[in-house]
Amino acid sequence: MPIAHPARRAALFLLPLACFLVLGSLIPHFLDVSNLLNVVRQSSIIGICAVGMTYVIIIKGIDLSLAGLLAFCPMVSGMLMLAGVGMVPSIAAGLAAGIVMGLFNGLMVARLAVPAFITTLVVGQISQGLALIVNGGRSIGAFPARFVFIGNGSLLGVPLSDLLLILFLALGFFIQRKTALGNHINALGGNESVLRQEGISAAKVQFFVFGFSGFCAAVSGLLLSAQMDTVHPTQGDAYQLDAIAACIIGGVDLAGGKGSIPMAVAGALVIGCLRNALDLQGVHPFIQNIFIGSVIIVIVFLGGVVRRRNELATRGTL
Amino acid sequence: MTREVKRPLGLTPGALIGLMGRHVSFFIFAFLAIIATLCVRNFAARDNIVIILKQSAIPAVACIGMTMVLMTGGIDLSLGYIVGLASIISGILAKTLLLPVPEVVLAVLLAGALIGLANGLITQYLRVPAFIATLGSGYVIYGLAQIVSQGSIINRLPAGFLAIGRTDLFGLPSAVFVAAGVALGFHILISRAIFGRQLRAFGFGPKAAALSGVPTARINVTVYAISGTLAALAGLLFTIRVNAAQPNMGGGVFTFEVVTAAIVGGTSLFGGVGSVAGSILGVLSIKIIENCINLLGVSYHLYLAVQGAIILLAIIVGNMTNRRA
Repeated sequence: MPIAHPARRAALFLLPLACFLVLGSLIPHFLDVSNLLNVVRQSSIIGICAVGMTYVIIIKGIDLSLAGLLAFCPMVSGMLMLAGVGMVPSIAAGLAAGIVMGLFNGLMVARLAVPAFITTLVVGQISQGLALIVNGGRSIGAFPARFVFIGNGSLLGVPLSDLLLILFLALGFFIQRKTALGNHINALGGNESVLRQEGISAAKVQFFVFGFSGFCAAVSGLLLSAQMDTVHPTQGDAYQLDAIAACIIGGVDLAGGKGSIPMAVAGALVIGCLRNALDLQGVHPFIQNIFIGSVIIVIVFLGGVVRRRNELATRGTL
Repeated sequence: MTREVKRPLGLTPGALIGLMGRHVSFFIFAFLAIIATLCVRNFAARDNIVIILKQSAIPAVACIGMTMVLMTGGIDLSLGYIVGLASIISGILAKTLLLPVPEVVLAVLLAGALIGLANGLITQYLRVPAFIATLGSGYVIYGLAQIVSQGSIINRLPAGFLAIGRTDLFGLPSAVFVAAGVALGFHILISRAIFGRQLRAFGFGPKAAALSGVPTARINVTVYAISGTLAALAGLLFTIRVNAAQPNMGGGVFTFEVVTAAIVGGTSLFGGVGSVAGSILGVLSIKIIENCINLLGVSYHLYLAVQGAIILLAIIVGNMTNRRA
C-alpha cells in the first residue's frame, strides 16, 4: 500500500498540533497569550527564511548562505543608519545586498552548474567575513527608534513581526500557487523536461529562486536586528539549521518538486514552540541543537522510506 | 579524465589553459608564493616559512579526508565540529583521567572514526544527502562537545602528550612530520592502490561503478569514516599546538578552510577528481594568504572573505578549463 497523500498531509498538520498541545499541557505558562505571541515573534525570523528556503529546496537546492546573510544585510543597513543615512534608504541597501548575494548564488548554480550547497556555503562565508570586517568584529546598536519599532512595535495588538511573517507567507503562497513562475518552480524541481519542452529557461527560474531566498534572508536579518536593536556579526549562525529544519518538518521534500509554503511556516512555528518550551524548561541551546539536528536526519530518512515504499508500490514489486 | 592531445610543441593559448587546468593547484601555489616573496617583507624569512609549515600541518591532515569525501561527490560539513569534540576528549583523557599517551591517541581516533562511520552509514543507507546528514550531525557533535566540556577549557596538558606534536625534529615540530606521513600514506592509497581507483570510479559515476563490481556502499561509508578519523587527528594535533583542549576549536570556519583548500587543490565538486598532492598545495596556498594577511597587519576577518573569493575563482577557472577539454 502506498502511503496515501491525504494521510501524509493530515500527519503533517497533526504533528504541529500535537506538539503544541503536549507542550501546552506539560509546561506551565507555555499557553499564556503573551508567551504565544512571543513564540510567533521569535518564529518570524525562521519563518521568513523558510519561505525562501522552500523554493530553493523545491528546485533541489539548499541555501547555506543564511548564516552569513542574516548578519551581513543588517550590518550594511545598520552601518548606514549610524552614519546618518535615512532609515528607508539604509533598509533598501540591506535588502539589495541580500538580493545581490542571492542572485550571485543563482548565477553560480545556473551558469556554472556549481552545486548549490557549495556556492551558498561560500557566499555565506564571504558575507560573514564582510560582516566581521566592516566593524572589526564588533556589534553595532542603538538604532533610530523607528527602526526598533519595526521589530518590537505592534499594530492593533498584533506584533509587526507577526504581520511581516504573514505577509511573506501570503506572498510565497501566492507566487507558488497563482503565478506561472510558481508552476515553473515546481516543474524545475519535479520534472525538468517539462520545463524544457515548454521552452522556459531553467536559469531564469534559478535566478529568481536564489535571489528571492537572499531577499527573505535580508528581511529576516533586518527584522532580527530591529527586534534586538543590535547587529552582531555572527547573529545568523543560530538560524541556519532552524530554517532548514522548519522546511523539513513542514514536509518540503529534499528530493525536490514538493513543498508547501504554509507548511514550511508551520514548521517554523513548531521549531519556535520547541525552542521556547525547552527554554522555559531551562534546557541549554546546545542540547536543543542536538535534538533539532537529530530530528532533521530522522525526518529526511522517514521521507526517503515513504518515497521508496511508494515507488515500489507503484511498480508493483512490494 | 584528462584527455591527452598530441600537438606539436608550441604553447598555443588553448594548450596553456589545458596545462594550467591539469596542474591548476601548482600554478596557484607558485603564483602566490612568488607574489608573496616579492611584495611582502619577511615572507621568505626562514622563521616565517617554518610558521607556514607549522600552520599548514593540521588543516592538511583534515583536508585529505575532505578531499576523499568530495571525490565521492559528497561533503563533510561536520568535520570542524569533530575537531572540537576530539580536542575536548583528548584533553579529558590526557589531563583529567591521566591515561597513557597511546591510549589517548587511540581513543580519540576511534571516536572520530565512529562519528565518521555514523555519517557514512546515514548518507549511504538512510539515503540522506551528505550535506544535510553532516550539517545535522555537525550540530549534534557540537552540542556533545559543549556538554562534555561543560563550556570549560582544559589547558596545561601533560608533557608526554604534548610531545606527540611538539618534539623538535630538524627545526620543525613533529606535527609537520605526522602530517607528512599521513599525506604519504593516503597518496599511495589514492593514486596507487585499488581503493583509489575504485574511489575515482565511484566519484565519476556511482551506477557505472556499481555495475562494474566496485563495492560502492563500502567506499562511500569508508570515506566518511576516514574523514572523521583524520578530523580527530587534526583536533588532537591542534590541541597539542595550542596546549589547550577546547570545544570551540575547529567549527564551521575550519570546515570551510578545509573545503577551500581541497577545491584550490583541484578537487572537483562533481566527484571523481582529486589528489593528496593537490590538496596539500591547496592548504599551503591558503596558508600563504593567511600568513600575508597577518604580516601586512590587515584585519584577520579579511581571511574569511578572501577564502570565499578564492574558492569562487578556483571553481570558475576549473569550470572554464573543463569546458575546453
